[in-house]
Amino acid sequence: MNDSFPLALAVMAAAALLCRVAGFTLMRFMPVTPRLEAALRATPGAVMAGIAALALAKGGLAEALALGSVLVLTRVTGSDVAAALIGVGVVAALRWAGV
Amino acid sequence: MTRARFSLDGFRRGARDGVPLAFSIFAYGLGFGLVAAQAGFGIGKAVVTSATIYSGSAQLAAINLLQTGEATLWALFATVLVINARYLLFGASLQPWLWQAGKLRSYGSLLLLGDANWMLTMRAIRAGEEDRAYLAGTGAPITIGWLLGTALGAAAVSSLPRPEALGLDLMLPCFAAGMVAAMTRKRSDLMPVLVGAGMALGVAEVFGPAPAVIAAGLAGGAVAALGAGGRA
Repeated sequence: MNDSFPLALAVMAAAALLCRVAGFTLMRFMPVTPRLEAALRATPGAVMAGIAALALAKGGLAEALALGSVLVLTRVTGSDVAAALIGVGVVAALRWAGV
Repeated sequence: MTRARFSLDGFRRGARDGVPLAFSIFAYGLGFGLVAAQAGFGIGKAVVTSATIYSGSAQLAAINLLQTGEATLWALFATVLVINARYLLFGASLQPWLWQAGKLRSYGSLLLLGDANWMLTMRAIRAGEEDRAYLAGTGAPITIGWLLGTALGAAAVSSLPRPEALGLDLMLPCFAAGMVAAMTRKRSDLMPVLVGAGMALGVAEVFGPAPAVIAAGLAGGAVAALGAGGRA
């Protein structure tokens, strides 16, 4: 495999590049209807909710408490970044405590 | 067509916002570097892999496949394509905003596109960010973290604290949760979020995490599109 590694790498890099540019390029030629615009606007929230839900399902109590505190703290502090950083601290502390 | 702003100021704003997530990407890079070292990659080979594919999940899957000894070029291509299919969605959602920076600048910025800075940039766009250099800016600290992490991991620097002990593995989900909480203001925002979360869990159960994220985005988008049709 060593001899062909540069080729394998080139093939994988091409696939990764294709994914990066293809959706973008396609959108250049699509008329942006109100429906499509609404779909694109909603996509980030849905994807992020999916990412958080997967972490919640994979994790245990510490992860659930950390993610829950992020949701609450975002509303309380008004800063999602601060809430996320605190959430990371919460999970680190809980894991350290053995939760 | 007058081009949208693409300035050093915007790049700096993006870079600043990217720093916290760069720590988590650094930890992820460490993880990939360790796996790569175990698969017999040297530091150089691991870093070149991280620089050219630039996607942790795809690289881990590819190493997995390479280790079976039965990796054909097509299998490697297909693996990366499936794992990174979510980038199709990321690129599509960025296009209306990013394209106004012009061809070279938008395609150049896309080279630095990743999960973390897509999230940051979509959030900034909602908050009214006009400077298209923001995306490339977010990519800068993340790229540094990714390559540095890969190099240290491949060098098997085992004296570093485990990223899990610092909670760094939960950084991206925490940011995602915070952004969802910040973005979901109206009732109509809630439905795509709930559908996305539910869809991700259901699809992950059957097909694993890579298609789950794409399914979440598509389902959330579809729900929002139906809602928009009803109002029109």
